Amino acid sequence: MHRIIVANRRGHQVVEWDVDTDTDEARERIAEAERIIREARQQGCIVSKKVDGKHVLDTSPFDPKVEEYQIIAPIAGG
Amino acid sequence: MFDLRAAWRWLVGGDREPASFDLGAAEADGDAIERPWLYDWEHLPKRSAGSDFSRADYRAARKRAIEVARTTLGDELWADLQHDGYLELPSRLFDGITYRLRVGRRIEVRAAPGYRVPWVYPYLCINPTYPLPEVEFFAQLYLYVRDREEEIVRVAAPQPWDQTLGRTF
Repeated sequence: MHRIIVANRRGHQVVEWDVDTDTDEARERIAEAERIIREARQQGCIVSKKVDGKHVLDTSPFDPKVEEYQIIAPIAGG
Repeated sequence: MFDLRAAWRWLVGGDREPASFDLGAAEADGDAIERPWLYDWEHLPKRSAGSDFSRADYRAARKRAIEVARTTLGDELWADLQHDGYLELPSRLFDGITYRLRVGRRIEVRAAPGYRVPWVYPYLCINPTYPLPEVEFFAQLYLYVRDREEEIVRVAAPQPWDQTLGRTF
């Protein structure tokens, strides 16, 4: 399974999808994940992805084969 | 609409279910993903996740945050944090400067002998724009400092003393 960690006040919530199953439901899960990434970026969030066991900030388009994404909150001073 | 029963449950602090009288609560119900970037959180008091959050909600959020912070940092950095109580990163933009990050606190800017802190004050106050458990934001801030220091420099509010952050809990 692949996933997005949505960090929020709940600690985090998770959106998961599977790239090995070719069903309408599986495709919809991937589309939902892509929508969440796009929406978060449009609202000023950044995104990290897991590479070699650790997260790095990432600006590339959504790739359903990425093992794990995380939504990173925008920051402000003060 | 204001839900008096939910408010009472929140006041007595014994309810794990999210109340339904505050911002974002509708999406916190069930398995719906709460997308905090869609809301304005400016009205919240410092160190608060919202009036619909019970003490049990805070406990659960902080516990879940540990899992994701460890995942974000990786086991090695997580072990360093547990051992030292902080993580340090050298600046890529300023020679001789190191950022010391501690959970829930301002970033301490440290200068090596012979170098000066490039801000007027040595503590940088940087918060998330929506409430997060402090250990979870710590891991996110580490990524910012390591991978996008320019953003840290752009938003940082230098302060003369250390203090807890206001938008984390």
